Amino acid sequence: MTDAVAEQSLPFANAVPGAVLAADAAGMVVDRKKLIEFALHLRNHAGFDYLSSLTAVDYLGFEGRTAADRFEVVYHLFDTKKGGDGVVLKVRLPENDPQAPSLVRVYPGADLQEREAYDLFGITFTGHPRLRRIFLWDGFHGHPMRKDWKEAYYEEEHKPFGSRWPVGNHKWAEDRVPWGDNVSFPKGWDPATFQPAPPPLPTIHEPPWADENHIATERIIINMGPQHPSTHGVFRMIVALDGETVVGLEPECGYLHRNHEKIGERNTWLGNIPFTDRLDYLSSMSNNLGYVLAVEQLMGDKGKPPERAEYLRVIMAEMTRIANHTWAIGFLLNDLGAFFTPALYNIEERELLLDLFEAAAGSRMMCNYMRFGGVVRDVDEDWLTRARDIIFNRLERKIDEFDTYLTGNEILMARCVGVGYLSAADAIALSACGPQLRGSGVAYDLRRARPYSIYDRFKFDVISDDGCDVYARYKVRLGEIRESIKILKQALDDLPGGPIFNGKPGYVTRVEKGEAYGAVEGPKGELGFYVVSDGSDNPWRYHVRAPSYINLNTLGPMSIGYKIADAIVALGGIDIVLGETDR
Amino acid sequence: MSIVLLSILKSLALIILLLTGFAYLTYYERKLLARFHVRRGPNRAGPFGLLQPIADAVKAIFKEEIVPGHVDKLIYIVAPALSLIPALVIFAVIPIAPDLRLGGFTLQFHVADINVGLLYLAAIASVATYGIILGGWSSNNNYALLGSLRTAAQMISYELPFGLLLAAIILTTNIGREAGTLSLIEILNQPRPWWLWLWLWLAFPMFFITMLAESNRSPFDLPETENELIAGFQVEYGGIKFALFFMAEYISMITGSAIMATLFFGGWRGPFADPGTWYGPIVGFGWFFLKVVALLFVYIWVRASVPRIRYDQLLQFCWKVLTPLSIGYLVLTALIVVFVG
Repeated sequence: MTDAVAEQSLPFANAVPGAVLAADAAGMVVDRKKLIEFALHLRNHAGFDYLSSLTAVDYLGFEGRTAADRFEVVYHLFDTKKGGDGVVLKVRLPENDPQAPSLVRVYPGADLQEREAYDLFGITFTGHPRLRRIFLWDGFHGHPMRKDWKEAYYEEEHKPFGSRWPVGNHKWAEDRVPWGDNVSFPKGWDPATFQPAPPPLPTIHEPPWADENHIATERIIINMGPQHPSTHGVFRMIVALDGETVVGLEPECGYLHRNHEKIGERNTWLGNIPFTDRLDYLSSMSNNLGYVLAVEQLMGDKGKPPERAEYLRVIMAEMTRIANHTWAIGFLLNDLGAFFTPALYNIEERELLLDLFEAAAGSRMMCNYMRFGGVVRDVDEDWLTRARDIIFNRLERKIDEFDTYLTGNEILMARCVGVGYLSAADAIALSACGPQLRGSGVAYDLRRARPYSIYDRFKFDVISDDGCDVYARYKVRLGEIRESIKILKQALDDLPGGPIFNGKPGYVTRVEKGEAYGAVEGPKGELGFYVVSDGSDNPWRYHVRAPSYINLNTLGPMSIGYKIADAIVALGGIDIVLGETDR
Repeated sequence: MSIVLLSILKSLALIILLLTGFAYLTYYERKLLARFHVRRGPNRAGPFGLLQPIADAVKAIFKEEIVPGHVDKLIYIVAPALSLIPALVIFAVIPIAPDLRLGGFTLQFHVADINVGLLYLAAIASVATYGIILGGWSSNNNYALLGSLRTAAQMISYELPFGLLLAAIILTTNIGREAGTLSLIEILNQPRPWWLWLWLWLAFPMFFITMLAESNRSPFDLPETENELIAGFQVEYGGIKFALFFMAEYISMITGSAIMATLFFGGWRGPFADPGTWYGPIVGFGWFFLKVVALLFVYIWVRASVPRIRYDQLLQFCWKVLTPLSIGYLVLTALIVVFVG
């Protein structure tokens, strides 16, 4: 956030007397007692209707911080109608009383993110309807994102660990005593007598016809996942059924949780780039881009990529979008029960793009292509010829083919039209993003709302659809592929020559002290990275605003009242990737 | 005595034929699906992967038998057989080739010529529901329960248009005769005028849809629905017991195709399939086989092409579209039979 924006946001500062304690370029520090009032004002009167990211930072031992303001909850609010830079709210919490008021009633989309902050930081959000752990299991001891929490086999705060470099006499964890020094249990915990808590039961929403005919029906609780073919990984939802109708749904995730953010804090700045590949493993190029954009904000002139690198970044990011959307459409059809034919036809196109990624970056899925201030490898003329051939001659034809065979298919329409209804107001309130938001008629695309990189140079339309259902999301994806092809054509035509990297490549990145939120319009939605730097070689805080995780907020409201088969389709319409959801 | 012995031999031959047919139908389906998917399909076991079904069978047989602790053991074990047997015994009334006459001895290529053949078809098709319902119920699993509930509603609903269309076909056997017949063999022997063929083919799409639903094939595979219910009624089954359910589904595809080939496409009839000659049975069986394989191709083609419809849409389609249409068809057929025949 720039200074000018901070000044602009100052008018709000006096709207609720005593709410804003301090304001600077990085955001406004808000009194926690006035937070809800202030947030309501921002939402209702200042137009900041979209809570994009909510996270916490532990400033234990940070320069200039004491126990009285050890924790900080950071809210990023944006305006979906006007776009532009948003406002950042911060609530500082003392060590002995880490409690903040829950914003769920103001921004229902805060639900999952507050649970995440509670789980990882131990910050209690008073007023949250079901504040319990989301990634870690209920018996987990401690809150791992706190700076004083050490993982098992903890070696050092920061990489590179002394045992591996430069000395290199590392002993693998498996060879050491399995219950080493860093394994701690809650007091009185005994594995022999421990009984895990019963699974949480979903809240039952009585269907409107429940009282009409007084037929006593029994609810079936069905546990879908974590091993289930349609949950796209190890996602779990506990569904209460009345016959075939969903009357309650409780999403459970965390089966793939590896505390990405904690590992990210241990890593060097540079070392996190390949690590972002593993978030949404279907679109690693976009993940790279989001992360480098966030960090480059703190790098000054060194973080300015040369022209050719900017173009290459856009080319790669848009190819990723096509690759991801073809995959998403294919697997949505699979969730509808088509036996892999549409999926495999779509995957064929994706494979061609992955071939290009492989040729450019050396890897098909874990590309690790972007660097701070550029990209890592240049593409040659041969690569460009191949890319042009695919983009100009093949993809459009193929997309038209999908359109012909799929869009008008009666069964597809019968299964998708009107299914998973999410109104525009709900989509914004629940912090939905990407095709999920634009499929509800909200034309909010970061490439236009807050242009990053060089997107302001290209001609393309923001696709949105008023259908508010799975069919609309499907059509948005199809339209976005077409728009991406448009961007790619322009970018490939205009690609300038010159260097691809600003400065000299090195392992150490100089990042100034400060904080930055960089977000890109990833294929799945707003992919944000919130980084806090203390000026050292490693991030102090590295937070990922994962679009498919936050889109899960909408799953319950979209599924309740529909048939069980529709819940599957609604989930397929969100297009989640568990690597990103669980982090 | 010899007729009993002959029937037993014929039944055995038929079962072997059907089980081999099942095994190679899985191969046929996998190969075809692979072609639809732009893949190659099984090609490792034997030339062109032809030994793949045998490898699969060996695997299924030697797999460890697991009976989960929470199931109703007796019904759980009996259910796969209950669903397989109807699929097999339906074939008893279907003529697969013209009679072979050697001197004074006549060999008929069907196990039984029942004079109520079509009624038998409808009856046995209903019995097949039991295996699936009991399998799902005895599994004591929510997915299986939902699957078997769906089966019950689906199969009973689709029995209605199936029966109505059969009734229409039975009516047409009255044309130009003193009395109609229910025997498949008789129907096949009876000459049909060209306009009657056309009229019957009009019913074929509807009949095909009911057969898809009866054999739980995509897009009506609601009882198993991999994407929602994982495998529905058979979710708790493994090894050979699972294979029996699998067999039942595929053999009911074969029987379904055989029924449609017989009722709508003249069964074994075709050029050079002359009854009473030495080559007649061979050519006749060839025609029958080709027709069945062509219809199976349509089954697989449908599976590769369309998504599944939702459960309530399935029932709506049956009660609001298919049943009225078949009633209309039946009434029109009756009028034709009265005024033309």
